[in-house]
Amino acid sequence: MSERPDLGQAMREALPVYDAPAALQAWAREEARKTDSAPQSHRQLTGRTSRVALLLSRWQFAAGLVIAAAAGWAGASLRSPDRISSITSETANALVDTHVRSMLPGHLMDVQSSDRHTVKPWFAGKMDIAPAVVDLTEKGFPLLGGRLDYVDGHPAAALVYGRRKHTINLFVWRSAGAEPPSGSSSVRGYSLLHWTSGGVSYWAVTDASPSDLEAFREAYVGSGL
Amino acid sequence: MVGTDAPAAGRFERAVLPHLSAGFTLAMYLTGNRADAEDSVQEAVLRAIRYFHTLRDDDARAWFLTIVRRVCLTAYRMSRAETADAISIDANRLQLVDDRERPDTAAERLQVQQRVRDAIGQLPPLLREVIVLRELQSCSYDEIATVTDVPLGTVMSRLSRARARLANLLHDVVDFGDVA
Repeated sequence: MSERPDLGQAMREALPVYDAPAALQAWAREEARKTDSAPQSHRQLTGRTSRVALLLSRWQFAAGLVIAAAAGWAGASLRSPDRISSITSETANALVDTHVRSMLPGHLMDVQSSDRHTVKPWFAGKMDIAPAVVDLTEKGFPLLGGRLDYVDGHPAAALVYGRRKHTINLFVWRSAGAEPPSGSSSVRGYSLLHWTSGGVSYWAVTDASPSDLEAFREAYVGSGL
Repeated sequence: MVGTDAPAAGRFERAVLPHLSAGFTLAMYLTGNRADAEDSVQEAVLRAIRYFHTLRDDDARAWFLTIVRRVCLTAYRMSRAETADAISIDANRLQLVDDRERPDTAAERLQVQQRVRDAIGQLPPLLREVIVLRELQSCSYDEIATVTDVPLGTVMSRLSRARARLANLLHDVVDFGDVA
């Protein structure tokens, strides 16, 4: 038998040292840059503080998502997007195609759960962002699950929400440069709503009504409270 | 609008970002799972942004680890040192196999490593963190005192209690010097 290692050596051989997940690093870098370039950042941060308090008061239940969601909610504009046609038809068509494909049997969800604590970690390591996963059942949009998708040349996280008999796909990906401004659109009878927040691009697509979609966006963006 | 031209890394980015993985590692050893560790570090970054003006000296690593630890303890109630559950530590994803090593020697080595992981996982969190900070993250005693928010003497006594517990479990495979 070989010589016994000392404790330090034995620990270094046996115990992993971890790299922070890529999504977390990307998020932190973005937050760092925002902080470094915005000396008046105190005002922006107050919104997060309350979520922190919420987290710590409900540590058993709320721990995961509240924090993750802060990234998505931070800086999200609550003002209604203009009804504009600036969503490029190419992206809109691709999104609707993907939405329709997701409705085919067996295509809707990779992870089927109404538990955001199940859905959110599932994306970890699969995406370069950690999408905010919130259950909006009380607002009438139950979380159904999530899926990895590929839309218009992007890998995308797709969060699946229900609206009565309808389905809303919320596609989330990291903005790559020029994003169309927030707006709504309609393609082949499907409604689309787009907004950007914290360098993350959100596209909601549904066969429910445009007003449902607008209500969904408000519920999702406002759910940090 | 922001981001029209990519600036050089700013003060916060330079101070904190390099220690993200150290923070994540500490959080892994405190919470025992990736989801909680990830959320803790994310929360710690938000706090670090808020309290960045309190960072006075150069040791941003100890400062950031302090925040990570506080989040872990507060959010996951690990302050109850003696009652917290043991965590389970996964092996390194890459297990290096030396072809020249005899298979039974390799098996024995992996078995020893598993026993070390189990022993560390069973330590109470307050003992686990000091030994991890010391042996895995190469923190000085002063840094450990900063991170764990206790006097140096408490650090020394916790380290020695941690070593004694580990010696009890691992003395046949790890050399503990005089401690055992």
